[in-house]
Amino acid sequence: MLDKIMKTDLFAWIDRRTDAGAIIKSQLTEYPAPKNLNYMWNFGSLALLVLVLQILTGIFLVMYYKPSAEATFGGFTVAFDSVERIMRDVNFGWLIRYMHAVGASMFFVVVYMHIGRGMYYGSFKAPRELLWIIGVVILLIMQGAAFFGYLLPWGQMSFWGATVITNLFGAIPVLGEYIGQILVGGFAVGDPTLNRFFSLHYLFPLLLAAIVGGHIHALHVVHSNNPEGIDLHKPEETIPFHPYYTLKDAFGVAFFLLFYCYIVFFNPQMGGYFIEVDNYVPANNLQTPAHIAPVWYLTPWYTILRSFESKLLGVAAMGGSLAILFVLPFLCKSAVRSARYRPVYKIMVIMFFIDVIVLGYCGHSAPTATLKVVGQIATAYYFLFFFALPLLPKFEKTKPVPEGI
Amino acid sequence: MTDQANQSRRNFLYVAAGGLGAVAAGATVVPFIGSMLPAADTLAASKTEFDVSTVEAGQLVTIQWQGKPVFVVHRTPELLKQVDGHDDKLKDANSEAIAEVQQEWMDTPEKRKYRAIKPEYLIVVASCTHLGCIPLFKPSEGRKEWGDSVPDDWAGGWHCPCHGSYYDISARVLNGSPAPHNLHVMPYQYKSDTTVVIG
Amino acid sequence: MKMTKFVMAAVAAMVMGFSSQAVASGGGAALEHANIDVTDQEQIRRGLTVFTDVCMGCHSAKYITYRGLMAYPEIGLTREQVDELRGEKSLMSGMISDLAIEDAVVSYGKAPPDLSLIVPGRRGGADYVYSLLTGYEHDPEGKVPDGSWNKVFPGNRIGMPDPLSWLDHDAGETDELKQQAEDVAAFLAFIGDPHQNTRRAIGCWVMGFLLLLTLVLWRLKVEVWKDIKH
Repeated sequence: MLDKIMKTDLFAWIDRRTDAGAIIKSQLTEYPAPKNLNYMWNFGSLALLVLVLQILTGIFLVMYYKPSAEATFGGFTVAFDSVERIMRDVNFGWLIRYMHAVGASMFFVVVYMHIGRGMYYGSFKAPRELLWIIGVVILLIMQGAAFFGYLLPWGQMSFWGATVITNLFGAIPVLGEYIGQILVGGFAVGDPTLNRFFSLHYLFPLLLAAIVGGHIHALHVVHSNNPEGIDLHKPEETIPFHPYYTLKDAFGVAFFLLFYCYIVFFNPQMGGYFIEVDNYVPANNLQTPAHIAPVWYLTPWYTILRSFESKLLGVAAMGGSLAILFVLPFLCKSAVRSARYRPVYKIMVIMFFIDVIVLGYCGHSAPTATLKVVGQIATAYYFLFFFALPLLPKFEKTKPVPEGI
Repeated sequence: MTDQANQSRRNFLYVAAGGLGAVAAGATVVPFIGSMLPAADTLAASKTEFDVSTVEAGQLVTIQWQGKPVFVVHRTPELLKQVDGHDDKLKDANSEAIAEVQQEWMDTPEKRKYRAIKPEYLIVVASCTHLGCIPLFKPSEGRKEWGDSVPDDWAGGWHCPCHGSYYDISARVLNGSPAPHNLHVMPYQYKSDTTVVIG
Repeated sequence: MKMTKFVMAAVAAMVMGFSSQAVASGGGAALEHANIDVTDQEQIRRGLTVFTDVCMGCHSAKYITYRGLMAYPEIGLTREQVDELRGEKSLMSGMISDLAIEDAVVSYGKAPPDLSLIVPGRRGGADYVYSLLTGYEHDPEGKVPDGSWNKVFPGNRIGMPDPLSWLDHDAGETDELKQQAEDVAAFLAFIGDPHQNTRRAIGCWVMGFLLLLTLVLWRLKVEVWKDIKH
């Protein structure tokens, strides 16, 4: 297919002016990919797919969404009404809105798997440190975009989530108060907040698209890691990206869409995890919902925040837990990449994954004394994992790494 | 299995995958483009009620219907007389050219001439059929009031300021105008003697 | 200048809410399952009748318009039926109660919530609505007057006076009242997401198509990957 297109006159005309043929060769048909990548390597292309879906559905939602907290009949607002109009009156509005809401959660599912794969197989280690760091930037922007977007329907969870998180910044000494005001644009979350969050919610995905370009470029300079975590030297160890990995990714996309569409069409609220029950109640600044927790993908960090009595410490720990991801490549000093050949690291990293799930569970549940202790232990392990990494090579006996694949 | 059989199976799968992919892409386009069509509430809000008795004799009132301007003119007997006598200068004297310029009730030559259910109240879409500007109402005959913005044998009607289209007092377009058609007549009916429901 | 007191107070209230939630003061009895079918036109129409006769005395459902009662095939009223229901109100108007919100606040202490989104907006959904309507009991401690004690409502003390007269009904009426509560729960579940039946119908086609696509792409991937010697 592709080779037929590349033989046409039109393609030749474009090629003379853009060098498209050379780009396709170097990035696709002759781009060397390790031949032993497993299905964990599918999540990168899935993340790209969801990003495109989010931008596309978002653009169409904006055609009907109105960012205004002006009150309308019955305790609702213009923003809430416009979302309900999309759900009820706009042709296929329900589909596009559910795709967007479910897509937000699926984006995090896919990206967390992608990050987990990178950690397990040591993809963050030299020479891929910068690739990892760009990835962490992407994660932070995603979390920002998700947070801004969650305010837009102006439901109870939108309002109180924004209130709590903007208030976090108040804990920062000296500047906190001003950062909070800059975010909120008033004395409490209100119409100015909604308007600026809407603006930023549109900006951040554009930033994402640009930075994802950088992420892919960085990848294509240093090339993919592989499950063995070894450097590849022989040409027979690699295969061209196209058609082998384009087809494998296409299969992955179809398989992913099965899950995505099942949720969109049959269970879009996902039992209150993807669209929370309280967000069907219009925002009320005089009444906090009884159960309030962030959306599931932010709950691990929320638990870290709650694990400290001092608000400042909590905020610092939460910020630190994200910031420490930036230095992961420099904390991990082992010469071996893949957990397959690092018995201790393998146990530690699997425990880390479980730990993050535990953190997420604690953050989503109403706090009890037991859960608080569990959350604190999980928080301790989260940091312990990172701080133990530099010491690990001193006592970890790595298994012999294969010569090739 | 032979290489050839393998190859043909592979080709079949490529074609099947490509075909299904194209179907998927096509099916995805439907809801997105569909969402840009008027929403259900917009479509339902497409009727306007208006009391024509509020328009004084000889006056024109512009009202809104589906977000578009609509002319309601109260034509005096003098104005009604201006309809006659210039059929040869009209592009479409009987309002037959396209569906939008006629309605079912236009079943007599009389009604086709006056283009109104009640001749004294002309109700037409106020968008010039050229490029959608709102024509200026210049009802009286001759150039007295209008200067040379109208032809010297002006029978009264509308003049579009954008590109100089002319319509007579039944909103029929004059020869030589860039506008191709008479002003459109939208569906409407009288709910009572003076209340008209447009849409 | 201090960061607003309001936000501080809100967060404080929330933190307190967290810690006290586990020992919240009663309410939230186990919900009973409501037999509803959002594709059953008869049940939805019966629910609509309960809604207009009982609920709409105080509550509105602003996102369901009179036009919607005709337009959604699951309800499918005729123009004449709708004209009778709406009286002087516009077809485009939502189903708004004649009781002004300010008057309701005076009479019942709080604004009656809009019911358009009551099913997606409450944990338990239709079961909650059904259980609430059939959850009126005499306060076991005798402190709360009859008609204001509900075993399902958080905190038990509810502002809405027993709408179906569930309390002290005759044994013979039990089934009928339960039926009414279920019917109105079905109606409310339907209007909470009026395109849900279309959504599920389209979803079946989409899933079928995607299964086929996945199968073909899987076989194609396997076929092409035969080139690679491991």
